[in-house]
Amino acid sequence: MRVLSRAWSSRAARKLRRNRLAVAALAVILVYFFIGLWLTAADITAAATGGGGFDDHRDGRGSLFSALTLDKVEARVGPLTKRGWLEEESAETRARHVKYYLSRFQKALRLKDPEHRRLELESIRLGERTVGVTVDQATRIAAEVETGYRELDRFDDLDAPAAAEGRTRLAELEAQVGSLFAPLSGWRQMVYDGRLALGTDRQGRSTSARAIYSIKVALQIGLIVGLISVLIGAVLGAAAGYYGGWIDQVVQWLYSTLSSVPDLVLLAVLAYAFTGSYFDDNSKPFLSLIPVYAAMCMTFWIGPCRVIRGETLKLKELEYVQAARSIGFSRPYILIRHILPNTAHLMFINFSLLFIAAIKFEVVLSFLGLGVKAGPSWGRMIGEATQEVINGNFWQIGAATVAMFLLVLAFNILSDALQDAFDPKHVG
Amino acid sequence: MWAYVLRRLLYSIPIYLGIILFVMAALRVNDPVYAYLGKHASREQIDQKRKTMGLDQPFLVQYGKFLGQVFTLDFESTKSWQYETKSVGEILGERIGPTAAITVPALVVTTVVSIGVGLIAAFYRGRLIDRALMVLIVLGMSVSVLVFIIFGQYFGANWLKEKHGIEWFASGGYEPWISWGGTEGFRVKPGIWVYYCALPVLIDVILAMGYDTRFYRAVMVEETGRDYITTAVAKGATRRKVMFAHMLKNAMIPIITRVMISFPFLIGGSILLERYFRIPGMGNALIDSITNKDFPVIQAFTAVFAAVFVLSVILTDVLYALVDPRVRLS
Repeated sequence: MRVLSRAWSSRAARKLRRNRLAVAALAVILVYFFIGLWLTAADITAAATGGGGFDDHRDGRGSLFSALTLDKVEARVGPLTKRGWLEEESAETRARHVKYYLSRFQKALRLKDPEHRRLELESIRLGERTVGVTVDQATRIAAEVETGYRELDRFDDLDAPAAAEGRTRLAELEAQVGSLFAPLSGWRQMVYDGRLALGTDRQGRSTSARAIYSIKVALQIGLIVGLISVLIGAVLGAAAGYYGGWIDQVVQWLYSTLSSVPDLVLLAVLAYAFTGSYFDDNSKPFLSLIPVYAAMCMTFWIGPCRVIRGETLKLKELEYVQAARSIGFSRPYILIRHILPNTAHLMFINFSLLFIAAIKFEVVLSFLGLGVKAGPSWGRMIGEATQEVINGNFWQIGAATVAMFLLVLAFNILSDALQDAFDPKHVG
Repeated sequence: MWAYVLRRLLYSIPIYLGIILFVMAALRVNDPVYAYLGKHASREQIDQKRKTMGLDQPFLVQYGKFLGQVFTLDFESTKSWQYETKSVGEILGERIGPTAAITVPALVVTTVVSIGVGLIAAFYRGRLIDRALMVLIVLGMSVSVLVFIIFGQYFGANWLKEKHGIEWFASGGYEPWISWGGTEGFRVKPGIWVYYCALPVLIDVILAMGYDTRFYRAVMVEETGRDYITTAVAKGATRRKVMFAHMLKNAMIPIITRVMISFPFLIGGSILLERYFRIPGMGNALIDSITNKDFPVIQAFTAVFAAVFVLSVILTDVLYALVDPRVRLS
């Protein structure tokens, strides 16, 4: 407690608090962390209740925790490559969406065995939407929609001014398709609208849900890589600086060796080394990330190690360290109690730099097929959006970029402010 | 001077030996032959492949042999696994050109432009133009590299072509733009280079510039506070003269470091760009060989990448010594 209050009233902390931009950035980061915690809790409760799928809350409201779990984020919620709410969709696209819904129902209705058909129909589920009609009703409505859809073929281009009649017919068809689904309660309708708000990807998965879920993945990568790298770097750097001699030689050799392979090449080699191993298993999202963590930590510890080694070299000549030695404290004690705490500000700064670096690196790795392989991540979203961009659909890449931009920008501002606060001589 | 260069060379030998040791060990964590042939391969096939690659020998023997190959630049004797007729050396030879066609111009342009912009920002320190530049850079740095590449390609190639009918840049691919021998003799076709390489280079420059400009500005601003600047100003030198004649010269050491440090960054960036623009460079070949488990190519390419890197570090140190004679003595 005393340490905390002392840190709060320290000169650097006061300087940081006066920087309004930094405080705002800190607030943004806290919001992200809160969402990340929330998503983790959601996944844990889903795993504990054995839930998943969309039918774990039939009470109409649903628990807040169950809206964003891994299963739901990976499930289809609507037609493929639907655009977001800001973009008016052309009548041709809307017709395509009608066709998509129709084909989902027809696939179920084509089954011969009546019992089988009923079960298949009931299993149709798009996000919060479930089927709300009996088999007979569905057969009737589907037939009507199909004939209606055929009629639309008369119009070469539904968006042409002459095709106004076709467009009214299309609106009717859409209403009919809508009637196939059970009406949603207010809350669930809101959740469902939210899922479609930013459109869908090529597999009909919700872009907004995936962008939000990726926050958890990004924070996980940033935190784990940042903490481990800073820890390794601090311990090795301080030891090298303080003990000197062969320890220093070994540490220096180690980091000059590892930093002599370009990061991406090193990561590629490590990805190769891990293929086919126990960790190369896409059914376990956490385990499959361990090679990525290992690879990043392997190169990222070098930065903090260099800085902290330099700082330790400076600190160990200071009077207070010499005083501690003359009192008779052991060298490891001085290292841990007197030197490492005085490099804490460097650890902070390096952590926030590495946090950003890890999140940005994930994107690159995932694009190359070496990073996140199971579950959504910003990197996968951006990588998968390539084809969409060529067709002028910016929703997926936009959602992932904006979500990532806010977090990384906040961390960039924070690390600049930290540098300003702790190191007045530093020019940012 | 030569003694210094020799000393630097000797120092970097253990580092390079370490890299090769590490890479070779990492590549052998998983049996490379098994990874390539899959689980349906027969015992004999696996044994034979292992023998031709020398993987049945003790690790130290393999280490020695591979080091021998690297130091004598003998990559011709090993054959690639995925392209059975080609040797690793041939693949390397045909891939180096495209990579250099992107990396070298990008390095030169980035350095020149970002030193310029850094100087301008430092010159107008605290004024609107400086602040605007810095805000822009922080904003740009918060967007993923990949997003820049995707949008750069879309607007530079697809959008220009479809919306405005301008076809300056290709959206991908590569053709050799220097030819020698044959009927034409030595010829350089800059048009082809612009068509295939200019857009990736432009994107690479934009990517690297954010970091570089920030750094150069910081260097310049730090130099501004030095005593020799005060002296020069006191003696009546104009601000412009102080800026470009006195400061730029003294800022040379950090600038050289930075240029050399950004080298691996450019290699890393060029892997992405090559991949995205389907340019058959070294980075693209490396990623390809990793997806296809082409062990000999991975091993050789990593060794070459690391060698380029170590050489660039040595070059940095030599340049230091040239720029600042004091370095030679330490």
